[in-house]
Amino acid sequence: MGKWGMGAAIETHGLTKDYRSPVKEPGLRGGVKALFNRKYKDTRAVDSIDFRIEAGELVGFLGANGAGKTTTLKMLSGLLTPTSGEALALGHVPWRREADFQRKISLVMGQRSQLWWELPAQETLRLNQAIYDLDEIDFRRNSDELVDLLDLGEHLSVPVKKLSLGERMRAELAAALLHRPSLLLLDEPTIGLDVVMQKKVREFIKAYNIRSGATIMLTSHNMTDVVELCKRVIVIDKGRILYDGALDLLVRRYADYKILRARFSTSVSAEDFRALGTVVGSGENSVTLEIPRSRVAASAAALLRSYPVSDMNVEEVAIDDIVRRLFSQT
Amino acid sequence: MSSPVRRYARIWARTASMAMQAQLTYRLGSAGFLLGKMIRLFFFFAFITAIFSHVKTVAGYSLAETALFFLTFNLVDMIAQIFFRGVYGARRIVSEGDFDFYLLQPCSPLFRMIFSSVDILDVVTLLPVLAMIGVLFARLPPTGWIQYAAYALLTVNGVAIVLAIHILVAALAVRTQELENAIWIYRDVMFMGKFPVDVYGKPVRWVLTFAVPVAVMTTFPVKALLGILPSVWIAYALALSSATLAFALWFWRDCLSRYTSSSS
Amino acid sequence: MRKYLVAYSIALQETLQRRSTLLMDRLGGLAIVVSLYSFWSALLGDQPSFLGYTRAEMLTYVLAINILRSFVFTGRGWLLVGDISSGRISSYLVRPVSYHGYALALDLAQKTVHLASSLVETSLLVLAVSGNLFLPKDPATWILFAVAALLSSLIFFFLEMLVSSLAFWTSESGGPLFCFELFLQFAAGAFFPLDVLPAGLRRLLAATPFPYMVFFPARVFLEKVPPSEALRLLSIEAAWLLAVVLAARWVWGLGVKSYAAEGG
Repeated sequence: MGKWGMGAAIETHGLTKDYRSPVKEPGLRGGVKALFNRKYKDTRAVDSIDFRIEAGELVGFLGANGAGKTTTLKMLSGLLTPTSGEALALGHVPWRREADFQRKISLVMGQRSQLWWELPAQETLRLNQAIYDLDEIDFRRNSDELVDLLDLGEHLSVPVKKLSLGERMRAELAAALLHRPSLLLLDEPTIGLDVVMQKKVREFIKAYNIRSGATIMLTSHNMTDVVELCKRVIVIDKGRILYDGALDLLVRRYADYKILRARFSTSVSAEDFRALGTVVGSGENSVTLEIPRSRVAASAAALLRSYPVSDMNVEEVAIDDIVRRLFSQT
Repeated sequence: MSSPVRRYARIWARTASMAMQAQLTYRLGSAGFLLGKMIRLFFFFAFITAIFSHVKTVAGYSLAETALFFLTFNLVDMIAQIFFRGVYGARRIVSEGDFDFYLLQPCSPLFRMIFSSVDILDVVTLLPVLAMIGVLFARLPPTGWIQYAAYALLTVNGVAIVLAIHILVAALAVRTQELENAIWIYRDVMFMGKFPVDVYGKPVRWVLTFAVPVAVMTTFPVKALLGILPSVWIAYALALSSATLAFALWFWRDCLSRYTSSSS
Repeated sequence: MRKYLVAYSIALQETLQRRSTLLMDRLGGLAIVVSLYSFWSALLGDQPSFLGYTRAEMLTYVLAINILRSFVFTGRGWLLVGDISSGRISSYLVRPVSYHGYALALDLAQKTVHLASSLVETSLLVLAVSGNLFLPKDPATWILFAVAALLSSLIFFFLEMLVSSLAFWTSESGGPLFCFELFLQFAAGAFFPLDVLPAGLRRLLAATPFPYMVFFPARVFLEKVPPSEALRLLSIEAAWLLAVVLAARWVWGLGVKSYAAEGG
């Protein structure tokens, strides 16, 4: 066990996960064949990854869909047993699912909810109190604090089915954090939320990390989440780590530009915009530009000044593009 | 930190209360199900009494005795329906991701799977059954306490076998996408338990005693009460429940180790 | 017309493909038949007859139940409830196809498979108990039986559609549907011949379409109904079918209007 460092919150060595799925030919013929001769396909979702996260860090785990982010989180929380490799989280082997370990962690999955649909969220909180064996004082203190931080007001007393999506997400977070975990794993926490809600959730995560000192690992395929929250980011693609380090370094090297999309009320030609940035797409009355970060504000202003803009959008680089660039470099 | 027993008792009390509250939000649906169950009970009872207004015995059993067989069946079946109801939603729990939460939290996922859902409607239908059993007990010729004890023991034993079956069904739900109808086979076969097993021909009786032990669950307790069950069979019944429970738990652990949660 | 035939053939393939579901359904029905058969066998073991049924006739009744159940009691009620609650029904309302016609085509596919299976099962059962059944010699009996059975299956189909249409107004229609199906099975004589019930209850049921669904065709088969009486009852059954179809379509119309009013 010489390879294990001192007191890391999470540490993995050669963590690998293969999935086995049955393969069936289409049609009736295939169905009959499958009955007698089951064929399987092995997919390697996570391929020998190593990383180490210290207590209190807020790390972003970035990758396209199917890159292996969720699988990794599921292994770290103990849901899945790896095919090979080792990991320690908070000093425990996660997939042993020891009660001591489970009391210190929480996994929040973007589109899944543990709240009971027909009842107020308060009831689920009470259930979690029983599950995590919290006494009344701790329960009150923790839930009051979360209601305050998440701005939940009276929403906990309303049946979950009557809550809006944003309220539900916040109630979900309250239920997930009731027991004050020191390790919080968030899988796509902002997926499906509108821009305002995404911002609120991000602010909460930041505040929670500072207040509780919990280690937070968050996955996303949305660059904005990571840019706003994390100093350190791990990029994963096809189960392998492509980058593990400071976010600003990644941005400077591979995402040193932003995407600007503009729509106009008259027809335009791509030629007109060459000066502002690289044209990557154009239409009858629209254009998409890649503009270096430092020049985004100026270019946007120039555009608005000189052209009849009907709609304009500035976005972070898509993670797929970052991955592609990373890939071509390594 | 409370003792495990206290902890689990608290968790059960919470989920039971929540399940009942949730059920009561569906008033029309609940009323419909309750009424349906009452109708079923009523009709079968009417059937039995009507039969016996025409004949004296069936397969050698009097009305009181046949009714007792039927009611004991209902007793075991209803207790299972009340307490082990969670398994009926097992498929959904796994496919919708609730099972993942069970695995993440410091509480036995098997416990959550089986006991998280209590059907308050069945408690309502259980009361008349218990009352009628009491009435029939009073009608029987005086019997020693040892026979009442045997009845109670074998009834609990029957519930234990049913629990083992439910654990097996839960394990299957975790392991595979198919066989979601497994629990319904159990219910259909249990239908045969409504009648004293003596009415069935030898081969069927054999199946119901050894292969799918419905007989052990429902007929044995009454036979013990009536003093017509040799003790070797009681021993068999107890051994059977221990063996099936042990196997069921082993099978659950095995299926759990093969679990791959549905990925995004 | 063609689209319904296509729906029928697709549903047929689908039913055949879901083998495990089919097997479970048939096994369940089989358990019921075996229980009832054994029960009546035991009951009529020493008696020459019971309520006017000889042993052979009663056992034939039980086997007829198996066939009739497979043919009559396959409805699309639960499908409709599911389609309405999930919103899938919108796609049918927009297309130039009658939902009832479409569901009927699906239902007929299921009936085909189940009927075939029950005929096979029944033949095997007949061999297993080596004859001793009542088989009518008059071809007219068979024809009357078939016609009655056909009407019964259509009545059940439209009754299910009628009750399931509740789903247009409430999300809890499952409870009432469950209750309705259970009550109907008893009232139709699908568990035991209605002669068992007290006369008052029987008179009440005679005013409903239910006894016509299993009890009446079975009695026709057993030639317990003189031909003139049979024709009279057949015409009453036909009248009931008409009434039920009209009611189902009327409620359907109301339901669609209410559904559309909510904006889907």
